[in-house]
Amino acid sequence: MERSQVEQRVVKVTCQVLGVDAAMVQPDSHFVFDLGAESTQSVELVAAFDGEFDIEMDEDAALQVETVGAAVEFITASLA
Amino acid sequence: MTEKYNSHPLVDATEPNLLEDTFDYGLPPLIRFDGPMIEHVDGKPVEFDPGALKTRPIVITDTTFRDGQQARPPYAVDQMVRIYDLLAKLGGPRGVIRQTEFFLYTANDRETLDRCRELGHKYPECTGWIRAVKGDFRLVKEAQLAESGMLTSCSDYHIFQKLKFKSRRECMDSYCEVVDAAFEAGVRPRCHLEDVTRADIDGFVLPFVERLMRMSEQAPEYLAAKVRLCDTMGFGVSFPGVELPRSIPKLIYKLNREVGVPGDRLEWHGHNDFHKVHTNAAAAWLYGCDAVNTTLFGFGERTGNPPLEAAIIEYISLKGDLCGINTEIITELADYMRSIGLPIPDHYPLVGKAFNTTRAGIHAGGLRQDERIYNIFDTTKLLGRPPRVSLTDKSGADGVAHWVNEFFGLTGDDRISMIKCHKVARWVTDQYKEGRMTAISDEELEQQVKELMPEYWEKYKG
Repeated sequence: MERSQVEQRVVKVTCQVLGVDAAMVQPDSHFVFDLGAESTQSVELVAAFDGEFDIEMDEDAALQVETVGAAVEFITASLA
Repeated sequence: MTEKYNSHPLVDATEPNLLEDTFDYGLPPLIRFDGPMIEHVDGKPVEFDPGALKTRPIVITDTTFRDGQQARPPYAVDQMVRIYDLLAKLGGPRGVIRQTEFFLYTANDRETLDRCRELGHKYPECTGWIRAVKGDFRLVKEAQLAESGMLTSCSDYHIFQKLKFKSRRECMDSYCEVVDAAFEAGVRPRCHLEDVTRADIDGFVLPFVERLMRMSEQAPEYLAAKVRLCDTMGFGVSFPGVELPRSIPKLIYKLNREVGVPGDRLEWHGHNDFHKVHTNAAAAWLYGCDAVNTTLFGFGERTGNPPLEAAIIEYISLKGDLCGINTEIITELADYMRSIGLPIPDHYPLVGKAFNTTRAGIHAGGLRQDERIYNIFDTTKLLGRPPRVSLTDKSGADGVAHWVNEFFGLTGDDRISMIKCHKVARWVTDQYKEGRMTAISDEELEQQVKELMPEYWEKYKG
């Protein structure tokens, strides 16, 4: 999958789970500080990414990811 | 003035040092000593060797049926027999729970004693408890008991204000007459020095006990008087440097080394009026008193006595070995006591419903990674009680995952990840967003897991 496609779908899932506008979701947006992700939402985000990309990410590593750009990197690597 | 401090350079490590010599997870944490304890007695330093506890014949005695029963409506005979049976199993064949004492005044008292003895346990040995009245030894003799406690109150509050003796001498003579009656009846007297931590130690306690020792020299060894130090109002203090009569180290030193009461004839009986009860009992062991008197779950007159189950855990911590103790019986005893109406608070150590239950998500996260992080010892093995998580707004997804895995009985690689529990975590979060103020019950969670994680329900509960 192309990186741009991954990025597009990460933005879509982030907007759905966190209830934010797509314009707010930039590569350097921090899930917690910029997008307001609460503890349970962080877990829901990882679950939603798993479902969206049909992958099973390592839980501890996935929860260490802090920004949208880093999530794109992490998922792209998982898909490779 | 320049203060000088020692330098403490970092000892860097890439592997953890979990101090497992002390914190062997399979046992309660060991209490290890690295030197003597020093107390100043009459202006001179005196050493006590706590290391000797490893080999000293320390024991636990029980007064659940005497002091314990003074704090509640009477037990039924069947209940006492059941408790006695469980005490025997808990203390094991080496008799760590060495004795328990019974009232002898009613037909029910005597029936209980008979039925307990019919069980055939060597330990706890059954002893009696009577007033300091000569005629009462007839009851002890008829019950064929080898030993009985007798009340020998020793503070002036009791001697003059309660018992109305005209003088200390009259009081002492009266007690000694009863001790003589015990010897004549062939019963070992155990003199309960009531209110000793509020007594005139030099003026009454030491002369009385000295006389007891002289009298005992004239009797066969198996009848030699025992001495129970009764901290009736919980005034005893274990810290070094405290003056008599409140100092536990000094009291034991005086009786043991100055008056010559051997450690195996000394017993500590405490009360919890100042929250010191268990530590005081342990201190009594440390300073030379071999027996500590306890009640199950600390139930006793007013604020209660040293809790027997805490003394059991302390015993193992000091000895470094289970010594034949069956610790799982502690949980069985608690369940039984609850079933007959004895309330045990949820936060009560070792047996309360929440004693190893965490509510904080960050603690649940720790438990998920290594249960030793937030569990005191292997409570599953020793008490049949795995660490648990109770869910509130502070529990987080970590707490939910811990609960789910415990519910399904999953460990190690079989554990379900936090991510897979996210729907239940969302339900919990929403409960509190909507204003809930109470913890979530196991039944509610079970229902949510069934609905929101049907594939796992089918796999593990279907």
